[in-house]
Amino acid sequence: MNEIVNQKKTKGVLIKNSIKSKKRNQQIADIVSLILVIILAALVMLPLWWMVRSSLMKSLEIFKWPPQFLPSEWLFSNYNIKPTTFDFWRYLGNTLTIVVPCVVFGTITAIFCGYAFARLRFKGKTFLFSLCVGSMLLPTMVTLIPLYISWSSLGLTDTYWPLILPFLCGGGAFNIFLVRQFIRTLPKELDESAAIDGAGYMRTLTSIIVPSIRPAIIVVALLIFITTWNDLLQQTIYITSREKYTMAVGLTTFMGSFKNDYSGMFAATCLSFLPGVIVYLIGQRYFVEGIVMTGMKN
Amino acid sequence: MKNKKKRGIIAIKEQRAAYLFLIPAFLGLSLITYLPLLAVFGISLTDLNVGHFIVGGTLPPVNFVGFDNFVEIFKSPSIDFLNSIKVTVVFALIAVAGSIVYSMFIAMLLNRKMPARGFFRAVFYIPYILPATAVMISWWFLLKYDGGLINYILVNLGFDKSYFLSSADTAIPSLALIAVWTSGNLIVIFLAGLQNVPRVYHEAAEIDGANAWQRFWHVTIPCMTPIIFYNLLMSLVINLQIVVPALAVTKGGPGKSTMFMTYLMYQIGFRGRELGKAGAIAFVFFIVAAILAFILFSTSKSWIYNEGGDDK
Repeated sequence: MNEIVNQKKTKGVLIKNSIKSKKRNQQIADIVSLILVIILAALVMLPLWWMVRSSLMKSLEIFKWPPQFLPSEWLFSNYNIKPTTFDFWRYLGNTLTIVVPCVVFGTITAIFCGYAFARLRFKGKTFLFSLCVGSMLLPTMVTLIPLYISWSSLGLTDTYWPLILPFLCGGGAFNIFLVRQFIRTLPKELDESAAIDGAGYMRTLTSIIVPSIRPAIIVVALLIFITTWNDLLQQTIYITSREKYTMAVGLTTFMGSFKNDYSGMFAATCLSFLPGVIVYLIGQRYFVEGIVMTGMKN
Repeated sequence: MKNKKKRGIIAIKEQRAAYLFLIPAFLGLSLITYLPLLAVFGISLTDLNVGHFIVGGTLPPVNFVGFDNFVEIFKSPSIDFLNSIKVTVVFALIAVAGSIVYSMFIAMLLNRKMPARGFFRAVFYIPYILPATAVMISWWFLLKYDGGLINYILVNLGFDKSYFLSSADTAIPSLALIAVWTSGNLIVIFLAGLQNVPRVYHEAAEIDGANAWQRFWHVTIPCMTPIIFYNLLMSLVINLQIVVPALAVTKGGPGKSTMFMTYLMYQIGFRGRELGKAGAIAFVFFIVAAILAFILFSTSKSWIYNEGGDDK
């Protein structure tokens, strides 16, 4: 009798112990992974810090051996770059002239198209959808030469139109896909009740769907922003006159022509980091959520 | 009867609305993507030159030259097209493999409970949103032989200095390293996938006594295969088109070690003005990309794990 009670007791203690040790293991794993993340994050950020610290140093100090992690003197005056060498504000303005319409209209067309694919029934839906998704696999560089020929026969080289017009119609297949997936997670009763209230498709879209897919919209806008902001190749091909240079083209030209003005070079590079980082920090809250909600299952 | 008719009217209305919604996107898709794809083959059969678009130019009219452009790009030693195909594909394969392993690992870490998770997510994502040109310039200085930070670290860890981007042997792996650094977008998609792995599977495996490694290998990975496939494909398409490093910094060198296909096309088409030849390069590029994507697709059936009753 006593033995059985004892056995039960030890069993209980064993279970308790195993739970405890499991909890402990869990804690150790949490700490280890946190340390790992901190180390990796530091490594990933190191190149950025290096740019920032170089941008604040004297040109001579930048390549000193052994390298210094902090500038001996913080020279914020390096950021006073002459507009003749790197015209930050002009480049920013030019780039935004391209990026803003692309983001606005690209997002709107992606929402339209994604909504039609998610909710409406029509003939040829499967075929059109596969055409759309299939274009994701088409490398844009393949279409570059025909597009260049078309734009230049229209006399539109050295203008921003070849960089903007493609985005006015079509926000890119991935973005359409993202919007469609996100809308599909919403309950159908939502738009049905709107339809009963007499709302047309456009009204349903703008008053019911759009407010509920805000995270997806922000993700799409951010992705279009990054694509257009980074498109050095097309910007190089189409823009030739200096006063129309974008940030990317301006930086590349600066890189190719600077005369040992290293700190100016680094300052210009750091300045060009800023707009993207700011836009990301604004939209960040929605970012992972936006993609998670779509249940990225293909 | 009446009801049926009414439904028919609604269906027609619905269809009309759908087509209206699709018009802008499909205008773009057909004019910017599919038509040019057809056109590029036609262009590659001509001797079209940038000069043909200069008003009042003195060039002879455009001629049909058959497959001459293709023959020439493969035969000409100064174009050295086979080298371009090789460096592009080698770069893409290293960059894709590296990015997938790196971003999966980071996503697994960031999927755990930890303080300041949002901050760390931002840290790993930010390299992706930086202007690619600026990124290349930064890394160019970091990887310098004299005075570059990375070489300083290598020396302190007891390794030899490396020439990185300024040697033909190490340029491609160095660029792949940079591509891995900027693969934050893959991390986000992996994270999204991880959060959709049903918890019950993990719990069931745990009850059956599976350790963390077994759970990773037999639960997480199988559930993630569709997303791994998606990321592989997208990362392949993007990395094959690599051009910014060559445009911004390396200019195809040292030697021809970074003469990527897109950069070669740019050189021939826009520096050399021979659009016909550049079209031929673009068309071959399309074939190469299609072959690689086809290989990926055809192997995918054997390793993608499909849950029963998937909604698509």
